[in-house]
Amino acid sequence: MRQGRRYKPKNLLMILMLSPYLLLLFFFGILPLIMAVFNVPSKSPSNPNGGWGVIKIVFKDFRLLPAAEHVLGFMALFVPLMIIFVVAMSLMLDMNTAPWKKYVRLAYIVPACVSGSVAVLLWYALLEPTLSPFKGIMHWMGITQATQIWKTSNLTFILVFMAFFSLAGQWILIQFGSLQSISTEILEAARVDGCNQFQLATKIKLPLIRKYVIYMGVLVFAGGLQIFVEPQLLNSSVYHGIAQQWSFDQLSYSLAFDNGNFGEASALSLMLLIPSLIGALLVIFKTDMFEDVTLKSPKKMHKEALKREAAKA
Amino acid sequence: MSIDFKETTPATTETPRKKKRKIKIGHLVINFWLIFWAVLSVIPMLWLVLTPSKTDREVSYKNPLSFASFHGYVRAWKNLQDFNSGVLARWVLNSITYNLAIVLIASVTASLAGFVISASRIRFKKAFLISTLIMMLVPPVALVIPLFIEMNKANLVDNPMSVVLISSLYPFGAFLAYIYYSSTIPPELYESARLDGCSDFRLYTKIAFPLSYPLLALLAFFAFVGNWGNYFMPYIMLQSPTNYTLPVGLGALFFSTPAINPGNGATSVPILKPEIALAGILVAVPVMIVFLISQKRLIRGMLAGSIKE
Repeated sequence: MRQGRRYKPKNLLMILMLSPYLLLLFFFGILPLIMAVFNVPSKSPSNPNGGWGVIKIVFKDFRLLPAAEHVLGFMALFVPLMIIFVVAMSLMLDMNTAPWKKYVRLAYIVPACVSGSVAVLLWYALLEPTLSPFKGIMHWMGITQATQIWKTSNLTFILVFMAFFSLAGQWILIQFGSLQSISTEILEAARVDGCNQFQLATKIKLPLIRKYVIYMGVLVFAGGLQIFVEPQLLNSSVYHGIAQQWSFDQLSYSLAFDNGNFGEASALSLMLLIPSLIGALLVIFKTDMFEDVTLKSPKKMHKEALKREAAKA
Repeated sequence: MSIDFKETTPATTETPRKKKRKIKIGHLVINFWLIFWAVLSVIPMLWLVLTPSKTDREVSYKNPLSFASFHGYVRAWKNLQDFNSGVLARWVLNSITYNLAIVLIASVTASLAGFVISASRIRFKKAFLISTLIMMLVPPVALVIPLFIEMNKANLVDNPMSVVLISSLYPFGAFLAYIYYSSTIPPELYESARLDGCSDFRLYTKIAFPLSYPLLALLAFFAFVGNWGNYFMPYIMLQSPTNYTLPVGLGALFFSTPAINPGNGATSVPILKPEIALAGILVAVPVMIVFLISQKRLIRGMLAGSIKE
């Protein structure tokens, strides 16, 4: 207590040093949310009298259900595919001790450099039978016309491939990193007890990296729910009308910038934010992912870091 | 290919030779799959890099992964430079300046925040950390419409400041800095410096900052990688083509030239597939170089606060 009082004037300096970040956090993290909440009941073309009835109007919007179908279909494929594939690949990579492994890891990171507009350009080329590096395979499969691939009914699969291909490599490396952090003593003990590689992967490694897998699952889920750039660019630039208001974010964008209906757009944004927030809170409070850093004091953290260093040495 | 594959399962009816063969086949399948996925990961980027070496006709008729000539790159670059009175150079410059400003502001504010949280006894530390974690886990796209409304009220729409300020909020960086300072600098060091009369600001400049060069490099790396290819935020906030960044400019090339969609009609300067691919290279290659150099840091950083080495 006494010490706290003694350093009180110095804390002011600390607060001043923290204030640039706090200002950014307030103005670009918290204030937009508050403004969005206040903006929801404002008067708009679809809600001329204003009020919270706008949420009902959003639910009744004929474009919401198709967007929900598209995005949920996309998520149903994308999230499990990502989790299963990434975990399997990182386990295989961890099992492998070949010297060429580092080059393979370098290759996996390459698709992560391709996002947004470049990803759209690449996938346009990859799936165009006259341009694709895989055109031999495509012709063999009987695909010779772009229209055989680029149609609204195929869009979910195309977007799943795009998102999966862009993100899988970097997540494989991240999960591989988490596997590398498992203590060798645990693995040795399991081997001595008669575990084969498959049992080692499923009974020892997987439970130990569970929290990282959940972390990935939440980030992938939250990111997938907010899919925008790829369908928007495909729709506006590559094949006009192929993905009109295909996703929630596109619908929100269209409400705001095509219809000038910011009340409805804000309501939809807030509705979409809720699952992301729940996911974030689940990771923070229901997994032990960030338990160490939110509950332990810096002193304890430093002591533990020293212990780890000593153990390593 | 020396794979440590100790088989210690209880004895079965299989002979050791059969078992060994099974394991060998298993390894071969795994190795083949790992290499296959690596090749698959590189092919699209290879296509992107090789396409500007060809003419538009060659792009469709030649082998997609063949190289034509270096002259192709020069021609595509000249055409891109002539497009819309050299607007591409402006986009490159915008991308560089906006990103420099973002990397600088984001890294400094995050580093300071991480230091204060680890070294001070200010109130509401836990609330601050939890709000930072929430901001870290919520995708930035979710806040775009509310941010546009805010920027509109502040008269900052179509002003590069809107993109720079919004993108400078770096909760992941603040969290990373907090972990770094908490686990590398002993609190006793701060305490003894305080007893020697060191002010909190000098604690940062004389003790924490000189010890945090690796952290600053990591902060700058993640800030750059996260913002260089960002499309959505600048697309919403910036409306004049002269304010665009490279990714938004690339998107504009898609819908204003016949390169991808011939229905868009011809432009005064031929902007076709090789030119578009070259613009794509300008967006992707800087990130690729940074990624390849720092892939280990990426892994450690992404798992900050939870990985035990």
